Amino acid sequence: MIVLHAKGITKKFPGVVALDKVDLMVESGEVHCVVGENGAGKSTLVKILTGLYLAEEGSLYIDGKEVDLRSSHTFRAVAYVPQELNLFGDLTVAENLFAPFDKAGLNAVFFNRKKCERATLPYIEKLQMRVKPNDIAKTIPVADQQLLQVARALSNENFKILILDEPTSSLTKREIERLFAVIDILKKEGKSIIFITHKLEEVFELNDAVTVLRNGVVAGNARVKDITLDWIIKRMTGTEIDLNQLYRPAKPLGEKILEVNNLSGFGFEDVSFSLREGEILGFAGLVGAGRSEIMQTIFGYLPEKRGEVVFRGSKWKFRDPAYSITQGLIYLSEERKTHGILPHMSIRDNIGVLLQRKVAPGGIIINKRLDTKVTKKVMQEYNVKAASSEVEIMYLSGGNQQKVLIGRTMEAAPRVLFLDEPTRGIDVKTKEEIYRIMKRIAEENRAGIILISSELEELIKCANRIITIYNGRMIGEFQENQLNMENVLSSVIGIARARTNSGGENEAIK
Amino acid sequence: MKLSNSKIQGLAGIARNRSLGQLTGVIGALVIIFGASCFISENFLTEYNLTIMARDLAFVGIVAIAQGLLLLLGDIDISIGAIAGLCGVLTAKLLVDAHLNPALAMIAGLLAGGLLGCVNGLLITTFNLNSLVLTIGTQTAFTGLNLVITKGRTITGLAESVTFLGSGTVFGIPIPVIFMIGVFLIGLFLTTKTVFGRQLYAIGNSREAAKIVGIKEQKVRVTAYAISGTFSGLAGILMAFRLISAQTSIGQSWVLPSIAAPVIGGIATTGGIGSIAGALLGGAMMGVIGNIIVLGRVDVYWQQVFNGFIVVAAITIDSLSRRIGKK
Repeated sequence: MIVLHAKGITKKFPGVVALDKVDLMVESGEVHCVVGENGAGKSTLVKILTGLYLAEEGSLYIDGKEVDLRSSHTFRAVAYVPQELNLFGDLTVAENLFAPFDKAGLNAVFFNRKKCERATLPYIEKLQMRVKPNDIAKTIPVADQQLLQVARALSNENFKILILDEPTSSLTKREIERLFAVIDILKKEGKSIIFITHKLEEVFELNDAVTVLRNGVVAGNARVKDITLDWIIKRMTGTEIDLNQLYRPAKPLGEKILEVNNLSGFGFEDVSFSLREGEILGFAGLVGAGRSEIMQTIFGYLPEKRGEVVFRGSKWKFRDPAYSITQGLIYLSEERKTHGILPHMSIRDNIGVLLQRKVAPGGIIINKRLDTKVTKKVMQEYNVKAASSEVEIMYLSGGNQQKVLIGRTMEAAPRVLFLDEPTRGIDVKTKEEIYRIMKRIAEENRAGIILISSELEELIKCANRIITIYNGRMIGEFQENQLNMENVLSSVIGIARARTNSGGENEAIK
Repeated sequence: MKLSNSKIQGLAGIARNRSLGQLTGVIGALVIIFGASCFISENFLTEYNLTIMARDLAFVGIVAIAQGLLLLLGDIDISIGAIAGLCGVLTAKLLVDAHLNPALAMIAGLLAGGLLGCVNGLLITTFNLNSLVLTIGTQTAFTGLNLVITKGRTITGLAESVTFLGSGTVFGIPIPVIFMIGVFLIGLFLTTKTVFGRQLYAIGNSREAAKIVGIKEQKVRVTAYAISGTFSGLAGILMAFRLISAQTSIGQSWVLPSIAAPVIGGIATTGGIGSIAGALLGGAMMGVIGNIIVLGRVDVYWQQVFNGFIVVAAITIDSLSRRIGKK
């Protein structure tokens, strides 16, 4: 029996179609895995099913009856555990479970702690949590926090479908087993589970049904017992990349400009790689794999633990971003809004703030003429669309903001440039513009570029070489002739490691 | 696509003038209140009254600019009045007891202000403390130091050669007002024409983004605290000269106006938005309103209620206009 049927769901954002006529059919008592690359539309789909987003087109049937996508009543049947834990850290397990308390039959005038805690016990038992009702939420293990989040979803007793959005990303192997055991119990009760994941081996462990999303469309769905891992990977990666549409720097690479030897820091261990002048080196990996941390550590934004870096032939001193910038190392953050732009300042100020030496030759007073000159230059050369240079940057589109940030960075003449997700949330046209800029920087300015991206297609199109990071460790390196989606994707999701380890030979790692 | 672009540009055009637009709001309100005051009391637009108002504004204006610099950073200094008081007492002590050269005594007082600001700044940045909480602490300590120096007694016997700086006029303009204009011009120059000013705004906008573009956050913040402390010290010294004696209470009532004036003038307490001119205009508005309340013979006990209400109203209006501006 089909409990949930989403039909032709379409959701557009400015410049992108996030979901294009997506169908999803979930039977009662099944675990339906939804897999896909970053940006494939998994989260958007979840947000529509839980009523956070409104779809432009499409309909939703629950138990065969069409329901209104706008009505909050619809979503009583859908329980949801978000990817990021959102517990009240300083409240107890019981309080977390039932807040707001009016929903739990605990709506007396005075809060009855005893009653509340008694009501918690069945959930603890069912989910086999190793906690007491009066434990403070932030002090219990992450796995139990995750289960508490599940329990909170279950406390809505009428639910038919439980959505788990990447629930295993912060759990250990044993904790995952516990979660799967709970899923089993729910299945037996006839509840359905939509399980969003990046880890393909989990799809086979859960062994029920799978839907693969790619670029906002359904690329395939099947019973897991009928398919193989390669089947999924093929569908996730889709068609071959058009080799005529590459943005890889084509000029011969120059000297080795950056060499990282056994570097360890917060969130990564024992990383070694090198970068040449004029090269774009891609870093692939899941979100949270530690890629940003590696670059931020070299940049001096995060403290290093062990290891050494050689920059232009001499030992690199880890100091602070100010020092790194004067030496020609610049980092552009993935968090454009919080770590990139200065929102309430003008385009002019946002440009000048990085280029003090250029706009204030004496170091103290800003030379208006030089300031205007460099502002104009950046805006023209990088095609920034704005009414004037005095506009507060927050009023620009994401793409134009990014062009300002990249433009000012280029004016600072970096030798090594760390670009962290430079095209996130940016429309296709501007993306291509940014690819061309990167290529130009590498070819003409002979800078070495490290490109971190969660879009494999982007990495393969732009990078001369790709390194993959999994759980804070380097697990693969792919030369230009090895760059294809299947190779890199398998490595990114940690499958290659299992393979190479069992095979004895470790080809991928240099 | 074309259409949406032009729409964005239109929006941005409005946004560009927002900081100016906020100032026109304050200026407009100031003009209206000033005009209305002329009708409410015939004593308002007299030379005597205007001089009084201007002199009062001088002190509030200076501390408002001092506080404004820190608010732009996203910081706040509750000890600003205590710094002023301590500097006033210190300078008076040096003049009366040590018979120091007046210029040297003033410089010593200003340096003390800068130093006290530095202490605040260094503690806050080194130990990553909340500026509000820390300066509540240092306010008490600085006030205590004041009492240690004076034993709670007023220091009298300041020579007329220095007190004219507090009470005299040049071409009819009270000398403290001239000092205030000086402080204002320095503040305006620092915030709009220098690298330091740009970094100040940058930190107020986003500490993380500022760090990533290579701004040495601690250096900039401590400098701002030092400048702010120096300005406060100046206000305290001038007040001592004006009262012809250094009372321990100097500066005690300045903390609220020093915060309210910049906020009324459009500086956001969260940092990064507004201008030093706004701080001064906000101070002027509070001065005019305070003055007309007195001239309008509002019961003296009600005056404070009025003052508080005006601050609340101004902040609410500012927040509402911001919200409308966003839409």
